[in-house]
Amino acid sequence: MEQILVNGLYLGAQYALIALGLTLIFSLMNVLNFAHGQMYVLGGFVTYTIVSQLGLPFIVGLIGSAVTLAVVGAMIEKFLFRPVIRRSHREESTMLLAAGIAFFLDAVILLLFGEKQRGVPKIINGVFNWDFRIIMPYDRILIGVLAIAMIAAFILFMQYSRAGRAMRALAQDRVAAQLMGVDVDRYSMIGFALGAMLAGLVGGLLVTITGVNLGMGGPTSIKAFMMIMIGGAGVISGAIAGGFILGMMESIGLTVLAAYGDITYLVIFASLMVFLAIRPQGLMGKPWG
Amino acid sequence: MSTSTRLAGVAAFLLAVFVLVPWAIAASGRWDFYYTLTSVALLSIASAGVWLTFYIGRINIGQGAYALVGGYVSAILMTKAGFSFWLTLPLAGLFCAGLSVLIGLPILRLRGVYFAMVTLVLTEVARLSALALPVTNGAKGITSIPLPGEVSLFGLTLIPDFATLANPKLAFYLVAALLMVLCFAALYRIVNSRLGHLCRSLQQNEELSASIGVNTAYLRVLAYSISSFFGGIAGAMFVAISQSIYPSSFQVADSVNFMLNCFLGGLGYVFGPMLGTLLLYFGWDLLFTTGRFQLLIYSSLLIVLMLVLPNGILSLLDRKGGRR
Amino acid sequence: MKRRTMLRATALAAVASLAFSGLAHAENPVLKIGFVGVTSGPAAAWGTSNQRSMETRAAWINETGGVEIGGTVYDVEIVAFDDQKDPKRAIAGMEKMAQDGIHYVVGPNVDDGAAAVRPVAEQNGIIYFPYAFPKELYTPPASNAVLGMVANYQSGPAIYKYLIENHGIKKVAFVAANESDPLSQRDGGVAAAKELGLEMVSDSVTYQVDTTDFTPVLLPVIQTQPDLLVLSGVSPANAPQLIRSARELGYTGLISTETAQDAGVLQEGAGELADGFISVGGASTPELASDMMREFVDRYVAMFGEYNDESNTKVYALEYILETLKANPAAIEDVEAFKTTMDTFEAPNPFMVGDAKLTYVGMTSFGQKRQLSVPLVVNEFRGGAFETLFVAQVD
Repeated sequence: MEQILVNGLYLGAQYALIALGLTLIFSLMNVLNFAHGQMYVLGGFVTYTIVSQLGLPFIVGLIGSAVTLAVVGAMIEKFLFRPVIRRSHREESTMLLAAGIAFFLDAVILLLFGEKQRGVPKIINGVFNWDFRIIMPYDRILIGVLAIAMIAAFILFMQYSRAGRAMRALAQDRVAAQLMGVDVDRYSMIGFALGAMLAGLVGGLLVTITGVNLGMGGPTSIKAFMMIMIGGAGVISGAIAGGFILGMMESIGLTVLAAYGDITYLVIFASLMVFLAIRPQGLMGKPWG
Repeated sequence: MSTSTRLAGVAAFLLAVFVLVPWAIAASGRWDFYYTLTSVALLSIASAGVWLTFYIGRINIGQGAYALVGGYVSAILMTKAGFSFWLTLPLAGLFCAGLSVLIGLPILRLRGVYFAMVTLVLTEVARLSALALPVTNGAKGITSIPLPGEVSLFGLTLIPDFATLANPKLAFYLVAALLMVLCFAALYRIVNSRLGHLCRSLQQNEELSASIGVNTAYLRVLAYSISSFFGGIAGAMFVAISQSIYPSSFQVADSVNFMLNCFLGGLGYVFGPMLGTLLLYFGWDLLFTTGRFQLLIYSSLLIVLMLVLPNGILSLLDRKGGRR
Repeated sequence: MKRRTMLRATALAAVASLAFSGLAHAENPVLKIGFVGVTSGPAAAWGTSNQRSMETRAAWINETGGVEIGGTVYDVEIVAFDDQKDPKRAIAGMEKMAQDGIHYVVGPNVDDGAAAVRPVAEQNGIIYFPYAFPKELYTPPASNAVLGMVANYQSGPAIYKYLIENHGIKKVAFVAANESDPLSQRDGGVAAAKELGLEMVSDSVTYQVDTTDFTPVLLPVIQTQPDLLVLSGVSPANAPQLIRSARELGYTGLISTETAQDAGVLQEGAGELADGFISVGGASTPELASDMMREFVDRYVAMFGEYNDESNTKVYALEYILETLKANPAAIEDVEAFKTTMDTFEAPNPFMVGDAKLTYVGMTSFGQKRQLSVPLVVNEFRGGAFETLFVAQVD
């Protein structure tokens, strides 16, 4: 039992961090970023290149991923999303753009980094074993702690920094924020860059444990979508809650339902649909997000 | 647009689809285009369904689920109950329509991205169900499904047995094109009827239309079930061509593509999904010669297209004549 | 820096192949061989290693003057189509091949694609070589598909028998991704293991292919304390993570799979935790590789920057096609002639030391010769490379 909870916590921490970036972008621009998973993969490959191929320390790889993705995110917002949002009649049109970007990043990743699964050597060896009741490798504990620290840092940033406050104002009411003198264009760009950076950071963190391959992008996006649906789209606390809930559900479901065959995910997905039918705005979302 | 120009347009389209295309293929010897165009026709039927849900203001990323269900209904009826393919085709559509009523009643209360995400999950649920249910033969899929058989009335052969045809590709193309024409005619009729006006009112403001006495719940379910009907028959038709079906025959990528087809063609235009499907599918096929750069070029073109025409390709018409 | 050289190499190779196919060997007629498989998206590794082995071998043949079939010297051209792992696209790809007048196609890589292209292949007289295991593709009345590798229901029993005899295993557990191919392979493996009298302690655990943490997946499996953990149809991307999670959970028994893996990927993803991992491979281990195999690997690396051990099993299909055509030149235009030749065909296996032969097999499994006789090489991963455990033949 303890093991299941610990697994769920670890999964939840990494999921929450992925969902945070997605929900930030959504809350600022009402864009469902289909390319979020691809950004995560790109972050993983950047860290891999820096650590495994150039032989630099892991922390350099992480910073490299964060910077690369922040730049990529800012570019995408400035040159792609901004003009399209301005000119399209229906805001859903950005979905096609986001999907196009997802395909594009997939293609670039395939050409630059190849089709193989990549990984970075373990950063710490050894396994924490408490009487076979909780077994957790040290590197997983480290990554889990780092993920939680990053989530905390992100919340503090959003809460107390000038940019964070501006972005929260933007998310609440775009027009009102503009009237109050918030530079909408600037903070949209910063927000997008920040969201992309978070995706890159998770990619960089997880490359040490799960590795990375170009196929992970799409499924990661879908998982992240599910998490923000559970918590409520565009709400930061909701994304965190959604991440932990999905992590817990997987951990428990995979153990309890293992005997019944291939139904764990069927049950998770079906219960998510039922949940949303009963509570359409998720746990903490605004109605009709 | 006057009635006569509209009729002329329809006649020209029918001529192109049923006469010019077969003639051009025979003349150029590009027989592989038959399958490409058959796919386009069928995928555009499914996309037309997605478009109809867009029309009531819902982003539908779950059409792959109904295509898969439709395919399985057709395959199971043919292999286990010995039905004729031609009977299973409408049955697959009806089954999907019925199923979509059950699923739609709760989930159509959702809006915006919430509805979009639930439908996306629905595709995955369909795949996992196909793997888990005994009737679908699970992971092994259903293979060696017979080709469509003969249909005759009073000894008169209406549709010949596809297995005896010298060129089943042409036959499949004609059937698919006919289905496509029928579906788009139906869609056009719906959009330009009272029902269509009500749907538009739903797209703009649901509360308002409910307040003036529109039965929004009924309308939503009706539109969604028509949409799913389209998905079901498209899926069933594909089964007849590939003579096999697997849980992965229609997956999330297909659902997303159906949606992209609608965006690309233009959400404000009935024939948007048809044009969008043609371009997306044909585009990928034509880029096949570029080898490893295929995806790069394809996605770059998508992005550029979106930057130039964010409201879909058919929005070009707006600029010229300002008409819809 | 590896990335840069690889890019440059690919660009060069692309330019070179364009230039050479058009100019340098313009005097030779061209023999086109098709490939329909997945080279983008999550499963890109399967198709890519496949396509690259074919391209490497074709470039090599062309460089040394082409291949002589029935008195004519041909250059070999590989026509590749990316089906994106979508059966509907795979049909389109097969139609393209038919349009190009191609009669021999390698692929598709997965069950659903292989089943979907069957009608097209049969209508257009195409013989195709899928890497998919469903028996109905190869048993009569089907006759145009030739299994390109050793099926899991053939390699599985051999591996289990070996492990029973050498390691005395008794309890076995299976884990598979919840997709068609791995699930079918798991069912085949479970049946084979039961037949050998092994005790099945867990055969129902599955995982999503996009799983990022396998600890919860494996927890219930490890608790049943098997002697052997079989990763059915595991993709090279998932294998290292599964091994790592199992070992970190304290599992000490054996781990095996019936699919081909890549040593580099295992080393990066699981390191020394993957030591002792048993998988099926081709003939590139030092004990077995012939000079020709070694040169093939060198050329592959020169062309694409990095070798993929999965290619060891995928180098064979093109060789079989060309050798069979040499044996019966009429088959270039007539696949029926090819089918007749398959029954009697025999040639030396150039990739392996010793006197191994290229023949068509499959009488036991399919009732007709519709499988390439690829040596069943069972490898063990140790210290970053594969070592051959034992070699068997399929009949």
